[in-house]
Amino acid sequence: MTRHPSAATGDLRPGATEAPLDSAMSPRGVAVTSSETRRGGQAWAHRRVGMLRALKHVVLIGYGVAALFPLTLIVSTSLKTISNGESDPFGLFTSFSFTNYSQAWTFGDFSGYLLNSVLLAVPSTIVVVVVSTMAGYAFARLRFRGRDALFYLVIMGLLIPFFAYMIPLFFELQAIALLNTLVGVDLVLCATCVALGTFFMRSFFSDLPVEVEQAARVDGCTEWQVFYRVMFPFVRAGAFGIGLFVFVQNWNNFLVPLLLLPNGAYRPVTTGLYSWIGRTSDYGAVAAGTVIAVVPVVIVFLLTQRQFIRSFAAGAVKG
Amino acid sequence: MRPMKNGPGIASSRRAQARLGVAMSMPAVILSVAFILVPLVAAVYLAFTNWNGLSANYGPFTGLANVRELLDDSVLWAAVRNNVAWIVVGTLSPLVISLVLAVLLWANTWGATLYRLVFLLPYVIPSVTIGIVWSWIYDPTNGWANRLLGDVGLGFLQRSWLSDPATVLYCILFAAIWGATGFCTVMLSAALQRVNQELIDSSRVDGANGVRQFWHVILPQIAPVFMTLMTYLLIGGFSVFDVVFVMTQGGPDNASNVLGTYAYTQAFVNSQIGYGTALALLIAIFAVPFVVILNRVQRRMLLQGLGA
Repeated sequence: MTRHPSAATGDLRPGATEAPLDSAMSPRGVAVTSSETRRGGQAWAHRRVGMLRALKHVVLIGYGVAALFPLTLIVSTSLKTISNGESDPFGLFTSFSFTNYSQAWTFGDFSGYLLNSVLLAVPSTIVVVVVSTMAGYAFARLRFRGRDALFYLVIMGLLIPFFAYMIPLFFELQAIALLNTLVGVDLVLCATCVALGTFFMRSFFSDLPVEVEQAARVDGCTEWQVFYRVMFPFVRAGAFGIGLFVFVQNWNNFLVPLLLLPNGAYRPVTTGLYSWIGRTSDYGAVAAGTVIAVVPVVIVFLLTQRQFIRSFAAGAVKG
Repeated sequence: MRPMKNGPGIASSRRAQARLGVAMSMPAVILSVAFILVPLVAAVYLAFTNWNGLSANYGPFTGLANVRELLDDSVLWAAVRNNVAWIVVGTLSPLVISLVLAVLLWANTWGATLYRLVFLLPYVIPSVTIGIVWSWIYDPTNGWANRLLGDVGLGFLQRSWLSDPATVLYCILFAAIWGATGFCTVMLSAALQRVNQELIDSSRVDGANGVRQFWHVILPQIAPVFMTLMTYLLIGGFSVFDVVFVMTQGGPDNASNVLGTYAYTQAFVNSQIGYGTALALLIAIFAVPFVVILNRVQRRMLLQGLGA
């Protein structure tokens, strides 16, 4: 119904034909269909289209194999028995055992890392979504003094690389006793993502027609109700998309926990994995740890991939 | 229906809006000020000191000494060269590869959804894991890189990829390109889905061939997304850290050192907090103008696109 930001990108258009591709691919594709369509020409053109299509899939499958190969390598190595892993760590697995997983889970402490990752990625994602939805609405829809200045202050985070302020940040957290704590890392993860979230939520809210808002006011809604009951439902899908993106970012973040959890407490899977490769020379056990680190985020991605891709694409257009 | 047009109604609504606006924007503002602005300002101060991270007064203040040291620091300039190589190769190659792949995925190519899913997988996994698995691939004795070269009769190219200063940077970069290309492909492919079919049809009626069609009709329409990806890859090139840190920590002998790893090591391994901060600020000084310019260009493109 409404011009929804993430719906605007549309589904993967099943209605479109393959014609534009083939004519775009073959320099003379147009000439074939328009002038050379005499006897025999058509069959020839047909065969050429078929061959191009096959070639296209060869390239696509080739890249797909390249994309999957390293991932297969990790899984394969993780499933080997220890002797198999020592003699031939990177060949396809010929033996099968879960020893490596129990190694990583208990000795590698990946059970703890996994819990810490959840405790870092989930609360920070929720906070980012809530905080940036509110700020995005305020900056897009409400008039107040200093609005533009505050908006630029918040989205400054998009412009400034984390490196620029990471070293003083370490000492700031040390000074307020948040170094080596979950709360400290959570807050920093929030701060690094709020700029992005606010930027997109503001543009989502800006796209909504002003009539909706006015009608709600005429109906006697308070300003909060206008936001929460009337306007927010229109951008819910966009907020969910941002949540997904932030979750993946925060789950995968390496530098922030590396920097702010220096004594090794509360390590998430990323820095946990890094410390694990320092503690073991056993490829199988490292591979098992890697799988444990990757699986949650891959599951989230697979469950939400349609939404994921759609909101990414919407974001790129807004830029 | 309450009359909203008379004075007091609007005034009270304005006041309510202003109150709510301040209240709702405050959490974001506080987070940004506390964990970005304050440390950023502190960074600008620390960059002019020789602080070791321990003394209580954040000193001594040494003025431009760090700047002079920067100019004479050969390790720094080697790192900057590596960043430049990373930015050029690491921006262009994903864009070119993903443009080709996205065109191939266009329209309802059979299995397009599955292809997109597979291509995007490397992007969703943590960069630490990318670093680990590619170190295995480059492993001199068991790694697949050498194994495949041997299998196809190119055994003379075998080497220990990550200990050779000549290859180490590009090997890590290759892993990073592997991680980023699928993401670019999916974005460009989504942009292509939105290309105006009527414009393509009418250009075909006008007799434009495939190449000219692509150049004049299709490319301008996906240009804004292209610019977004370029910005994203450029920023990535300036602030690359994870993969390099995991795979080589900048070694061997600084051959794969980039600004990020060098700044981190100076600050947290060598306790040169002041100098490390100056190095890290350099990343922002290099990156910010690029981001601003690209953003301008992109905005102009979007405006032109709407005007057409």
